[in-house]
Amino acid sequence: MTDIVCVAGVDLLMDYLEGVLTDDVRAALDAHVAECQRCAAFVDSYCATPGLFKHATDASLPDDIQRALRAFLRARRR
Amino acid sequence: MVVTAAEPGDELLAAQAAAGDDRAFEQLVSRYEARIFRLACRLTSETDAPDVLQETFLQVYRSLRTFRGDSRFSTWLYRIATNAALMNRRARARRPSEPLDQYLPRFDSRGVHTGTPEELQLPSRADELLDSQALADRAREVLARLPDMYRDPFVLRDLEDLTTAEVAAMLGLDPAAVRQRVHRARLMLRGYLSDLVGVRP
Repeated sequence: MTDIVCVAGVDLLMDYLEGVLTDDVRAALDAHVAECQRCAAFVDSYCATPGLFKHATDASLPDDIQRALRAFLRARRR
Repeated sequence: MVVTAAEPGDELLAAQAAAGDDRAFEQLVSRYEARIFRLACRLTSETDAPDVLQETFLQVYRSLRTFRGDSRFSTWLYRIATNAALMNRRARARRPSEPLDQYLPRFDSRGVHTGTPEELQLPSRADELLDSQALADRAREVLARLPDMYRDPFVLRDLEDLTTAEVAAMLGLDPAAVRQRVHRARLMLRGYLSDLVGVRP
């Protein structure tokens, strides 16, 4: 089993989360993150990023745009 | 046993709409219009999203007869909407996109993170540390600055919750390429959040 350093661990994160790593690489990454506070903190903020962006870009449909869409579609269906 | 009247499924409504039932089509529109508008905002801009929204449902209306029940209606709809968004963007003047490489994580010569654990953790608290309107404005801005090759997979995979396989099929990429691009987008956007909360990534 080879030891993983932070820079290599970061490269593996997406594949780790998607479950496509081999068992031995997965175990090596688990072992590194369990011992490395920096990587544990990095993983937290990496995993939080999509959710933060999802929430921050959650646009709602304005009423006037909804009305315009429906009028547009009614006109095209005639 | 309690039996409740279920809403008609998308695929049933699509079949009814294809057979000329306008009310079924309207139900599909009202079920998905908000989601498609949000997707369009994320892939284009709030200015262009209304056009993408109209173009999407017009295309859906015109091609309902070609919809086969072998994929989910929502997958088919998302594919039409994504294409409409990409076409809309192509018709616009090229916006300046930046690699945003300055936000990638940094390591010392041994390959160890340069930040302290506290600094590396901080971006995950961006929503507590920043005003929510300011965060929303910055998030939209940086998404627009992200090169399309990262933006599109990130939006579809992480913001719209499609699977990696669905995103790959939609963008004509290998699943491995989708993972690689989403990963890079996450790294850059994480670093951007870090910068926003006052820590050099």
